[in-house]
Amino acid sequence: MEQHHFDIVNHATPRLESMDKALGRGKYTDDLVLPNMAYAALVRCPYSHAKVLSIDVSEAEKVPGYLGCALPEEAPQAYFNCSGNPPSPLLMADEKVLTTEPLTIGDRVAVVAAETEEAARAAAEAVKVEYENLAPILDVKAALADNAPAMQPHLSDTNVVQRREVSQGDVAVGEEKSDIILEDHFVTPPMQHTMIELTCCICDFSDGKHMTIYSCSQTVFQERRILAELFGLKEVDVHIIKPLVGAGFGARQQLHAQHAAALISRKVGRPVKLLYSREEDFYSVVRHASDVDLRIGADKNGKLQLFDTTFRLNAGPYTTHTPTVVAAAARKLQYNVPNYSFVGLSVFTNHVTGGAFRGYGNTQLTFGREILMDRLAQKLDMDPVEFRLMNHVQVGECFPCASIPVSSNGIEDCARRCQQIQKEIDEKEPLIDDDNIRQAWGISFSCHGSGPSSKEGLSGAVVMLNADASVHLLVGSADIGQGSETMESQIAAECLGIPLSSVQITAADTSLTPYNTGTFGSSQTFICGNAVKLACDDLKKKMIEQLKVIYDGCTVKEKDHRYCISGSEELELSFEDAARKILFDPKGSVPIGAGTYKAAACPNPFSVCFVKAEYHKKLNAIRLMDIIEVVDVGTPINRLTVAGQLEGGIAQGVGYALYERMEINPRSRRTLSTDFLHYRIPQMGDMPRTYVDMVNSHDPYGPHGAKSVGELATVPVAPAIVNAVRRASGIEINSLPLCDKFAILPTERGNVK
Amino acid sequence: MLENNHTIHLTLNGESRAFTVEPQETLLHVLRERAHLTGAKKGCDLGECGACTVIMDGRAVNSCCVFAMEADGSTVETIEGIGTADQPHPLQQAFIDAGAIQCGYCTPGMIMAAKALLDRDPHPTREEIHAAMSGNLCRCTGYTKIEEAIVAASRVIDQYANGKGAQQ
Repeated sequence: MEQHHFDIVNHATPRLESMDKALGRGKYTDDLVLPNMAYAALVRCPYSHAKVLSIDVSEAEKVPGYLGCALPEEAPQAYFNCSGNPPSPLLMADEKVLTTEPLTIGDRVAVVAAETEEAARAAAEAVKVEYENLAPILDVKAALADNAPAMQPHLSDTNVVQRREVSQGDVAVGEEKSDIILEDHFVTPPMQHTMIELTCCICDFSDGKHMTIYSCSQTVFQERRILAELFGLKEVDVHIIKPLVGAGFGARQQLHAQHAAALISRKVGRPVKLLYSREEDFYSVVRHASDVDLRIGADKNGKLQLFDTTFRLNAGPYTTHTPTVVAAAARKLQYNVPNYSFVGLSVFTNHVTGGAFRGYGNTQLTFGREILMDRLAQKLDMDPVEFRLMNHVQVGECFPCASIPVSSNGIEDCARRCQQIQKEIDEKEPLIDDDNIRQAWGISFSCHGSGPSSKEGLSGAVVMLNADASVHLLVGSADIGQGSETMESQIAAECLGIPLSSVQITAADTSLTPYNTGTFGSSQTFICGNAVKLACDDLKKKMIEQLKVIYDGCTVKEKDHRYCISGSEELELSFEDAARKILFDPKGSVPIGAGTYKAAACPNPFSVCFVKAEYHKKLNAIRLMDIIEVVDVGTPINRLTVAGQLEGGIAQGVGYALYERMEINPRSRRTLSTDFLHYRIPQMGDMPRTYVDMVNSHDPYGPHGAKSVGELATVPVAPAIVNAVRRASGIEINSLPLCDKFAILPTERGNVK
Repeated sequence: MLENNHTIHLTLNGESRAFTVEPQETLLHVLRERAHLTGAKKGCDLGECGACTVIMDGRAVNSCCVFAMEADGSTVETIEGIGTADQPHPLQQAFIDAGAIQCGYCTPGMIMAAKALLDRDPHPTREEIHAAMSGNLCRCTGYTKIEEAIVAASRVIDQYANGKGAQQ
């Protein structure tokens, strides 16, 4: 592989804002207070399906500090789709700001405002709502039954809001050419994002004409568009500012309650803060539960011939992201399979609404796929790594049903590096296989895209040069904790040959920064990074043009960030000299570079995950020992950040595999998972030993060769854990979480000094 | 509901402070809304996530579960009181250097819980670190770099204490 030299990118660099965060000085939305600010709280439906018969606010009015209440008839009546994706025919509108016909627990019925947060909560609780409690449909099977009532009759006569079919080749041919076909029915649970920051917005719509919102948001420009449409405003009159965000993982790729806050702000004529409780966050959005039929066939040489799936996602009662999640899942098959059929169903239920969550459909489809691939390898008596590699799409080849060939692929290097780490572990601690304990390794491959697709994803960037050769960078991209502001600054510093400390970035403010589709689809390094690179190239080009104006008649060439003037004058200017000259010369100008990148590619990053687990025969218990994940993300822009994404993705995969599930009480048919005692996420001591690494790779389309990492990191973890457990226990597994089948033993890495 | 406000006295980050509080008010509320110290975060208000961790009389506490009146007379240390940009606490610097900070929302609580641990035991075992940090949730990092940062900080603190090189 060609070696690329970098001064700033491909280094491990602490985040630009990490000192502020470490000192407790970083400002998140709930840390902000506006003058004359009141507090808002939502009146939410406590049932999974109900009808509002009456609303009585008389008791709420008696709460000291009560300011007002907005009822469903006062809210915009138009249906909307809260998804932070750009407009698409797949994003059907079926949700209202406030509703009298709640379809899931937590649906918004009314919104109140009061002088303090406590008074707002008390007033919301004092609003008496009389409900008719209706029978909910909670799972996909019941929703698809012939007699099931349609949840959104204006969109569909059935509960299938969208059916997507993608295919190549012929399933019948695939069956014929396969010497062995394995099939199973795979089920994955709804998982909640549990960002540690509670969802919060501050909204000032007190004049009813201009809306200013501070909010934890991944997609400020889409939120601006939806809010402008809902309230009949121009987009310039909606100003959304994203302070620091305490993570997103997809949960903030949609409007939360900004619209309700706007409604009550206008009514009481004051800015309001609306802060969720943890319970509200829990039932606001989940990763879709999936119900998947899958068949994979191979010939006796191990070549895949057939991949046939029916992929059903539990959407909850509103469309939001579901059809795009299904579409994304169809695009993630990284093996050469001549006969491929994907039927995807977006299914309405009264469960908690499904939305975007790291992986976006890839997680659910890869789960069954990699388990079946593991079983196939065993049936064929092949090594699970070699079996996958021999079927893997190579550079220049396309994924099934894709139109753009794979542009870089380090999957074999990832697998070999995993094997090397595995060998080192096995030499120190050979696998145990005795009367009680059996240990085994399990593996999984995965891929993702860089950006939502090869057609979507758009970002602008502006770079403004100062006289001392420092620059101000403006991007619309939202840093939600993943570190995009630092990475974009690194890309700019590398392009311009200046130190990272000379780049100041302003991001995700709809009135100050250029449009960006949004932080989703693992797009910020690739999409926004390319825009930053183009803006820097534009700046350099404009600098040369201006120097030609200043040194009239001379030629100007740039090499290694120095400017050579030759002709009537002979001199060489440093980047800083050139900046000063351009700004202060009588024939000078303001040097501003602008870049816009519209996705023209969506390079696939790749990942290989190895897991060592043990099975305790007498206890029917499992324990995770080691997790290795090695990735091809092209050039890692920030090695520290990429490693952090991998480790965090592993932890979310551990929780998903072992015990996380949004629980519905079968009697009350309401969510049980209302806090961290009733919805467990991994703690520090729950984590097995983890090893992460990046292979040497460079994508021709990426900024400085970079692809994406965020979502990729978590996708292979659950199936790799399952494959280790199935090989250790000999028990076949087709559903999560594993705590349904096994006792989970604590990890054993605590005694090391 | 209880009436009557009360005045409490705290030694807050080394300064004597008095606050008039309501009977059911939490220490977290006093810190954020009355002292305007927003480093301690509200992540659940139920004592389950640890984002609001501060040190009260030497012990790490979930400040959302301490009534302000219970804290009367106590010494309270928050993230704002343990370091500055010029002189960060070794834990603050170690969190930055190790890349232990992603979204950063859990960070102040993590650092305060770790400080309470290292204040009473400057070189804990991994098991002791896990136990001390079990009440602090992080969804971004997988904890790997947080654990590394705590171990690294304990070595730095050791160096200060012993005036010699890093210990294993």
